[in-house]
Amino acid sequence: MGQAIALIDGNNFYAACEQNIDPSIAGRPVVVLSNNDGCIVARSAEARELGIAMGQPYFKIRHELKRLGVAVRSSNYALYGDMSKRLMDLLTQHCGQIEVYSIDEAFTQIDRPCAGDLTPWARELRATVHQNIGLPISIGIGTSKVQAKLANRLAKTVANNAGIFDLYTVTDLDSCLEDINIKDVWGVGKQLTSWFRIRGINTARHLRDMPSNQLLSKCGIRGIRLQKELQGEPCLVFEKTPKKKKQTCISRSYKHPITSLEELRQRVSSQVIKASEKLRKQKQLTRKITVFANTSPFNQSFFSKSATIQLETPSNDTVILLKASLALTQEIFQPSRLFIKVGVTMQNLQNNDYLQLNILKHYNNQQMEQRERLMMTVDHLNKRYGNGTINWAISMPSQNDGVRREQLGCNTTTEIMKIPIVYS
Amino acid sequence: MSIEKSAIPLRTERLPLSIPLAIESVSAGFPSPADDYIDTGIDLNEELIRHPISTFFLRVSGDSMIEAGIQNGDLLVVDRSLDPCPGNVVVAVLDGTFTLKRLALRRGLLYLDAGHPNYQPIDLRQYGGVQIWGVAIYSIHKLQNIATA
Repeated sequence: MGQAIALIDGNNFYAACEQNIDPSIAGRPVVVLSNNDGCIVARSAEARELGIAMGQPYFKIRHELKRLGVAVRSSNYALYGDMSKRLMDLLTQHCGQIEVYSIDEAFTQIDRPCAGDLTPWARELRATVHQNIGLPISIGIGTSKVQAKLANRLAKTVANNAGIFDLYTVTDLDSCLEDINIKDVWGVGKQLTSWFRIRGINTARHLRDMPSNQLLSKCGIRGIRLQKELQGEPCLVFEKTPKKKKQTCISRSYKHPITSLEELRQRVSSQVIKASEKLRKQKQLTRKITVFANTSPFNQSFFSKSATIQLETPSNDTVILLKASLALTQEIFQPSRLFIKVGVTMQNLQNNDYLQLNILKHYNNQQMEQRERLMMTVDHLNKRYGNGTINWAISMPSQNDGVRREQLGCNTTTEIMKIPIVYS
Repeated sequence: MSIEKSAIPLRTERLPLSIPLAIESVSAGFPSPADDYIDTGIDLNEELIRHPISTFFLRVSGDSMIEAGIQNGDLLVVDRSLDPCPGNVVVAVLDGTFTLKRLALRRGLLYLDAGHPNYQPIDLRQYGGVQIWGVAIYSIHKLQNIATA
């Protein structure tokens, strides 16, 4: 009966990961904080019901959370990464090919059975995931990605859908699309929303039925694809292998403001070391580096500054990237500004499968190979004996980089000293 | 130095941890006739963990399962993919904690039995819904007086 596309995602993923391995907070309101305990990035269903909003700065509602008996956790990305890998492996086992879309979302293609309805399939998958890894998921099914995304939303928001929604089962698709606000359609951002609203396009149904030439002139082929997808005609390809990233960004917020150029250099170095490691892992080289820093966004005198350098030769060599980035710190540093966040962005990434000619200007082949091997050895040692085993002298002599993680849960799945305790 | 040729490979992610039985190093004379047969080691992860996706480690605290051979401080290997059956040692969620007990079925009723004479069986009817979090498959016990690596 043709192909269907399902979007599968974890419900309140970070909070669910925490609840799964810590029974003392299972079934209770839980919020997870962003890096450096900045603001709320995830809420358990129970916390949602209490009306706690996403994105609120922690320091502003800390007392309110305490009063309501909400458990608070610093984000533990090692745990979420481990659970994400388990989820994706399990989905691959059960669905064959999947397209991992984010840490807790994946698309999959399935054949629609003769009976049509895929709800029983979804119900079984949901039960399997829950039994194997203890996480609740939602499944939305349609004939295109945009439809699947939409169905997933309905699976979550409509109470008696119980986390599963197959658009195929809908008898009145029109009124179903009518109920979906234009801003909630996948791919429609803030700007586009207001453009649509001005023209009286307020729901997914309006978008589906509007004149396509109007869409074409505003958003080009992307708009046409979006409309066709809404009509159930798949236009967005199903990516079987992950797309290579075009840029990578690493940043950190710190508890205490950066007061000296030396400190800024140390902080930037830590980010560059991490970013170059990431590039090597992705087998990519960068051509352009941006270093940036900003003051607290909660301060009235918010200030940010960045500087960019173009590399003559693309590279992922920590030594080269450090030299280039550190040259930029001078431009950024302002003694009067209290920077609490610094980061680096590596842009114009390219695969390192092929060598570009002007490399030869700087190194001969043997030197190149030596440098590559050095970097590989550093990466291996850090992987084997833990991050920071081999470090660069310039970077912060850090245990935790001065990052605030005061509410870190006691339990995790990735460190033997912090596995959950079972009482007997 | 080359990474590939080092005697024990540096461990990369997800690479099974093997204990090599022999390393190919022939200085002179005939090559060992066994060389062709030596390419694998014993991987404890592989032996103990049938379902890596659904397997979790927990630390045992307490002695109520001593008769099942599970001691205080043991490393418990729990497989969530298995359906809990009477007779299995299971991790149950009771009063907000992970509790280790043996699932038992007597006269049509489910109980959580302790493996210690001082502890009474728990009648599951007392609790609204008890979640069985997973089935314990191994308890790894460190023998005393062994220096920690």
